[in-house]
Amino acid sequence: MPESVADIKGLVVRYGRREILRGLDLSLAPGEVLALLGRNGAGKSTLVRCLLGLERPAAGRLRLLERDVWRHRAELMAEVAAVPERPDAPPGWTATRLARATARFDPSFDAPDFAARLERRAVPVDTPFDALSRGQATQVSLALALARRPRLLVLDDPTLGLDPTTRLEVLEELAAELAERELSMLMTGHDLPGVERLASRVALLADGLLVLDEDVAALRERHRWVATPRPEDAELTAPFEPIVQRPWGRGHETLVARYDDRAASRLGAASQIRWASLEDIVVASSHQVAAPRNP
Amino acid sequence: MLSLDPASPVPIWKQIEQAAEVMTTSGALAPGDPLPSVRELARQLRVNPLTVSKAYRRLADRGLVIVRRGQGTFVADRPPILSEAERQASRRAAARTHALEARRLAADLAETTDLLHDVWNELETEINA
Repeated sequence: MPESVADIKGLVVRYGRREILRGLDLSLAPGEVLALLGRNGAGKSTLVRCLLGLERPAAGRLRLLERDVWRHRAELMAEVAAVPERPDAPPGWTATRLARATARFDPSFDAPDFAARLERRAVPVDTPFDALSRGQATQVSLALALARRPRLLVLDDPTLGLDPTTRLEVLEELAAELAERELSMLMTGHDLPGVERLASRVALLADGLLVLDEDVAALRERHRWVATPRPEDAELTAPFEPIVQRPWGRGHETLVARYDDRAASRLGAASQIRWASLEDIVVASSHQVAAPRNP
Repeated sequence: MLSLDPASPVPIWKQIEQAAEVMTTSGALAPGDPLPSVRELARQLRVNPLTVSKAYRRLADRGLVIVRRGQGTFVADRPPILSEAERQASRRAAARTHALEARRLAADLAETTDLLHDVWNELETEINA
């Protein structure tokens, strides 16, 4: 087993004179599920295209399963599967035909497993892909990817535009896969409650660099909302690294980034402390400016 | 079985931990009862198995459950022995929430303690029934 699934160092991508990725570092260990978050235009899709060998960076190192992506693209793609944001297929192709085509380029494709997955979700195998509902198309695309038994699964906003039932089915399919075997995933998306169910780590991309790259549990543990009802008590939050502060009646509500249970008594008896959601943390952290990488 | 509140800002591992704790202290799970396997619960809750493991590990660290290798996770026979500091902190936090809520509803201290008395006795009857 390779020790690293993805290893990215100093990745730079330019479109004309605009730098989309500005020297990005990122790594992924076996079994890790990394949620790559960021606002639209932050560079997520560019990073995903680079990972899949669809785009060549201007500079930097990009290795998957300890091999250079650009030089070993063909052999790597047998171990990496992707579910695109908008699943697509040639006109008129059915799930059955897609499965035959996949089996031809990937010998490890498990056709009975693919059929079983679609049957479980009652997705028709003989309907042309372009006539399937959004949810069914996602199910087909996901089943095609999982039946290849990849070591890395790249998911581009897997729950985008799905109805609540299909969304839960997709999350269930992915959770079941993780329970069954060691699989690394890199997922982008804006469905933060969904992301949080699966991710073990979160990376937040802003303006071509990572402003966060951390274990989800650790990230959640260190953030809290602290409500201080008396105006003068807002200062008490200073040692806990306030990142957002807003009025709360006469007092303030502050999102702190270095909360410490043991020191919480310093916040005063009138303060109220509550958990900050992943969304609160991501939104607040997106405003922070990434330090540019030293050349 | 255990379920999650998708609208809650409480982290998933903490929700699992709290739900299991409520089930053990309310008698929904008795000493010796098995908890679902990590994989089973991960599937059922649609979460990463690592998150379930984390919740189980925390329950085990606190003595609420016992992990028997190769067999699974079971509700502990005896109530967990918490340090005095942990017990104090936890009881204080609960009392604080209760006191804040009572003040919000303009209840006085005597009313509040009377009510606590009643609820305590109700629980006693229910659990021993």
